[in-house]
Amino acid sequence: MMIDLQTRASQIETEYVRKFKEEGGKVVGYACVATPVEILEAAGILPYRIKAFGHPDTSLGDSYLSRFNCRFCRSCLSLGLDGTYDFLDGLVETNGCDHLRGMFENWQYAKKLPYFHYLKVPHFFREDALEYFTEEISLWRESLSRHFGAPLEDAAIWRAVDEQEALQARLRELYALRMRKVPALSGAEALSVICTGSSMRTADFVSLLDGLLGDLSERKVEGFRARLMLLGSATDEVDLVADIEQQGGLVVTDALCYGSRSFWERKGESRDPDRFLAEKYLGNLFCPRMFTEYERRLQFILDRAEEAGVDGIVLVYNKFCDLHGVEAAALRVDLEKRGIPVLVLEKDYGSQSDTGRVKTRVQAFLERIGK
Amino acid sequence: MRFGGIDVGSLTAQAVILENGSILGYKSIRVKTNPVASAEAVMGELLAELALSPGELTFTVSTGYGREQVQDTGLSQANVSEITCHGVGAHWLMPEVRTVIDIGGQDAKVIRMSPSGELEDFVMNDKCAAGTGRFLEVMARTLGLSLEELGTVSRQARKRAALSSRCGIFCETEVLRFLQRGADRADIAAGVNRAMAERVAALVRRVGAEPEVTMSGGVAKNPGVKEELERILGLRIRHCPVDPQIVGALGAAVLAKRMGGGS
Repeated sequence: MMIDLQTRASQIETEYVRKFKEEGGKVVGYACVATPVEILEAAGILPYRIKAFGHPDTSLGDSYLSRFNCRFCRSCLSLGLDGTYDFLDGLVETNGCDHLRGMFENWQYAKKLPYFHYLKVPHFFREDALEYFTEEISLWRESLSRHFGAPLEDAAIWRAVDEQEALQARLRELYALRMRKVPALSGAEALSVICTGSSMRTADFVSLLDGLLGDLSERKVEGFRARLMLLGSATDEVDLVADIEQQGGLVVTDALCYGSRSFWERKGESRDPDRFLAEKYLGNLFCPRMFTEYERRLQFILDRAEEAGVDGIVLVYNKFCDLHGVEAAALRVDLEKRGIPVLVLEKDYGSQSDTGRVKTRVQAFLERIGK
Repeated sequence: MRFGGIDVGSLTAQAVILENGSILGYKSIRVKTNPVASAEAVMGELLAELALSPGELTFTVSTGYGREQVQDTGLSQANVSEITCHGVGAHWLMPEVRTVIDIGGQDAKVIRMSPSGELEDFVMNDKCAAGTGRFLEVMARTLGLSLEELGTVSRQARKRAALSSRCGIFCETEVLRFLQRGADRADIAAGVNRAMAERVAALVRRVGAEPEVTMSGGVAKNPGVKEELERILGLRIRHCPVDPQIVGALGAAVLAKRMGGGS
């Protein structure tokens, strides 16, 4: 790739972020894909998606969370507490899962960032949940406007909505290049691009993608023996995807919240921006934290698998992830029933000592599917 | 033509040489400081015993931890995961076998094979010592027994001690508590084997135990674990006709024959 991409925990504070801050910009951290970043964008704030890139040191996080909490959350918390994330002007918490809440609340307890807001996201997609979420978004908008002194008028939010749609259209183009018969980029590269963009303002990420899409149009990634799809819990471990690909299985698509689960279609109908965002986000959100949405999740996975022509699916999740751990059992059965081989890869987030076990299982899976 | 298989595990390394469709010889050693040194040593010793030179092997496949490094240094021409190798090895020995329970030093796997000997499904243990050979090693040391004795002594048990199957550390504490209370070592040894079997049985259920079932890996030599597994799962586990520790290396040699031009 021609550009510097974020792939490691040592690159959390990028040159881009440093410059943005030097110019007086504000940066707010969020973690969950259910956070309507349009609100932050409309306030001129950089929405920085919290990542740990498989950072193996969880020692500071372990002082606040238990060893039985998801290690992604403990790694992020450690980076929050050791000063890596000191450039943040605030945090927006969501109830994506309880481990994530533990991360946010202990982070705020220990660091006392100048701005902290808890955005409560309903677990259902239905009318009363939409009304509730609309009110939540309005309250967040007020609190953000008050704290940062940003007017946050409707017109600014609609502009941010259009920007997000432009971004999501380009991400779909990037995935089209990835899914080509001879893909233009590897799964590890695609994940690095998305991680890099999630540390940027939307308009700048769009420009980056415009350049990248041109550069990649003629590129060919060859020499792989199988086409795989990756799905599961929040995955920002570029090294993990690279390890999978090193075994010969190119990850040509995914159903991850750091991937295709965030390229949303325009869903909202409302002319009130808060209600529109509630409709867009709840209408597109179907990770396992959403109750009664299993069939939609399954269909989304089947559609992605079919369009990318995958030979098999790797379902990856971190040890102690309740949501994806439970979901994996049902998903595996339902996908295999439809003739798609599945490897359930439970692993320890960011643990170098787990690399060999990951590689063995992926290699055996490729042998199992005759690749 | 002769074909080689090298399996470097976490605690032991094995080599097998096949000639004319039968096992010409095999060797098992404790691992050296790195997988390449282990592979060199185990295959070197076996070749020396058989008075052969490395050039007399038509094709060799490496498996186990470090299988790629072993291939990179030219000691093998291909590498295959130990999951496939244990399945292929067991199927070559006993074509009726559909399920292989392989318990090695640091991991446990349950492998299901198709009737024609293709890998159908598998599951590997969590990243945890409970349910692996390492667990038995620690418990045997705590009991002052050798690994072999842990299996044989447990057969004299009159009242099996109830131990946790969850965690190696907690289990070791429990073993010490039983010892301090003056419990019989045979009863505790039986409890250790039962705890181990319970953990492995959970893995077996995940894949489903399609008969016939056999065991490979070092822990297959412990009759206590094998019998407890039979009791829990309600089925008979077929005895491996060769040293169960060499099944992975044997599978690698069988695959070497397929890849290297043998029929």
